Amino acid sequence: MTVYESDLPGVGKKFEVELNDESQLVIVIHNTGKRELFLRESPDADSDKLFELSDRLARQVGTIMEGAYFQPIRTETIDTVLSDETLIEWVKLTADSPLTGKTLAESQVRQRIGVSVVAVQRGDETISNPGAEFAVEEGDTLVVIGGKDACREFQEYATAGSPDDE
Amino acid sequence: MAAMELWQVGGLFVGIAVAGAVATRVGLSVIPLYVVVGMLVGPNVLGRYAPEFAIPSGDIVTILAEIGIVLLLFFLGLEFSLDRLMEARRRITGAGLLDLAINFPVGVGLGLLFGWNLLESVLLGGVVYISSSAVITKSLIDLGWIANRESEPMLGTLVFEDLFIAVYLAVVAALVGGSGGLETAAVDVAVAVAFLGVLLAGVWFGGPLFERVFDADSSELFVLRVLAMAVFVAGVALAIGVSEAVAAFFVGMGFSSTDHVERIERLLTPVRDIFAAVFFFYIGLGTDPLLVATTVGLLAVAVVATTPTKVVSGFYSGRIYGLDDRRSLRVGLGMVTRGEFSLIIATVAATGSGPVMTQVIPAFAVGYVLVMSILGTVLMQYSGVLEGVLARRSEAAG
Repeated sequence: MTVYESDLPGVGKKFEVELNDESQLVIVIHNTGKRELFLRESPDADSDKLFELSDRLARQVGTIMEGAYFQPIRTETIDTVLSDETLIEWVKLTADSPLTGKTLAESQVRQRIGVSVVAVQRGDETISNPGAEFAVEEGDTLVVIGGKDACREFQEYATAGSPDDE
Repeated sequence: MAAMELWQVGGLFVGIAVAGAVATRVGLSVIPLYVVVGMLVGPNVLGRYAPEFAIPSGDIVTILAEIGIVLLLFFLGLEFSLDRLMEARRRITGAGLLDLAINFPVGVGLGLLFGWNLLESVLLGGVVYISSSAVITKSLIDLGWIANRESEPMLGTLVFEDLFIAVYLAVVAALVGGSGGLETAAVDVAVAVAFLGVLLAGVWFGGPLFERVFDADSSELFVLRVLAMAVFVAGVALAIGVSEAVAAFFVGMGFSSTDHVERIERLLTPVRDIFAAVFFFYIGLGTDPLLVATTVGLLAVAVVATTPTKVVSGFYSGRIYGLDDRRSLRVGLGMVTRGEFSLIIATVAATGSGPVMTQVIPAFAVGYVLVMSILGTVLMQYSGVLEGVLARRSEAAG
């Protein structure tokens, strides 16, 4: 994908974005802030005006296009965002996990990594608020809460040694 | 020159507002309409029948119109970036020189043909040479051509023309204002060049200073500073016999390399539009339609001679930019429109001596701009028809 930028003296700037099918998207940004969008079907064709946006609206639409408002991501684990920085994360333990077979007190995840285990899903049952003496096993899914970075670190730690299946 | 009352100045703005509304309704450019309405409500038409209601062309209007010229040229300088010119210099220079070499001599030749002297002919050359940046740019946007390839040679040629006209105005203003002798003329040109040299040095070295001095937080202070700088420098230039338009152009250039460009464009464009509208209206006020009628022969010859030349030069400019025939023809048709700068050259001519400079050229320029701006706009709107003709012809030939 190539983007050509050219000056339009007295008007503003022109950007030509090559699309996949020979056509080009032409964006004219006026000095007044107005944006005009055109579609050029083929290199020889005239540009058809699609629409125009005011400066403010263009910025809003631009952030939506950028994915700043809604980020479509395929996550491998389900996570739920409480605020910008705090997550609830579900982590399934593998046989090789350093946590497997240890009690929560022994593995000290809260002190060392900064996440708290709020529940453990084993088969069909859910143990909520497991105590310090609760020992986790292979196949358990730990539900942890913590900061974004801490959750990521915990996930890496808990699944360490497991082959990346995706 | 008469003193004006507030209601008359108000009437002037009413006239401008009405002209703008009519132009938008009819789909024409506003510039010719401002001139026509100015002519109708001015001393030469309404003044003949109902002098008590006519808008006089008083001192105040002259001053407002001069500010209009200053701001038009200031914005031209603002848009003018040497870097940009250097970047596309081969193509811009090629297209620009072609445009100059074809159109300017035709105007000079016409003047000589009519038995005018060389300076008068050179003035005519300028009037018919320079296309209208304002009208053409607006038409490009309205028609959506701005997103097509043909906009590049058109805007590039306009940049070249604007630079040429800045130099041209500096020279002819000195020559026209001169008392006629060769020595005094040389002195006048030298003074002009020296003053512009000082300004140019200011532009060259003053960028950072401009950056700092004009870095005002409030829009109000910012607009005031920019306006003060532009109008004052232009006024001083005029006082020592240099074209105020050229001085304003250089001040604009001084700003062109700073970060203020966008802010100036945002905040001062409405200010420019107001004063520029008054300038066109003022041209109308000072125009006597009967006098325009006396130049109709010259006008007809000029229209017939200078429409095809612009089409041809524009066509080959398009070629320089590597466009196909259809788009090259569009460039040619688009460049036909003449406008604000032809009128500015006419105001320079009016300060000269002899009936040709003081009466014929200004009257001719008004008629010429009216015809060419309407003709050019129409040619652009109906370019599809002509493109079809061209396509059929090339098929027949091929």
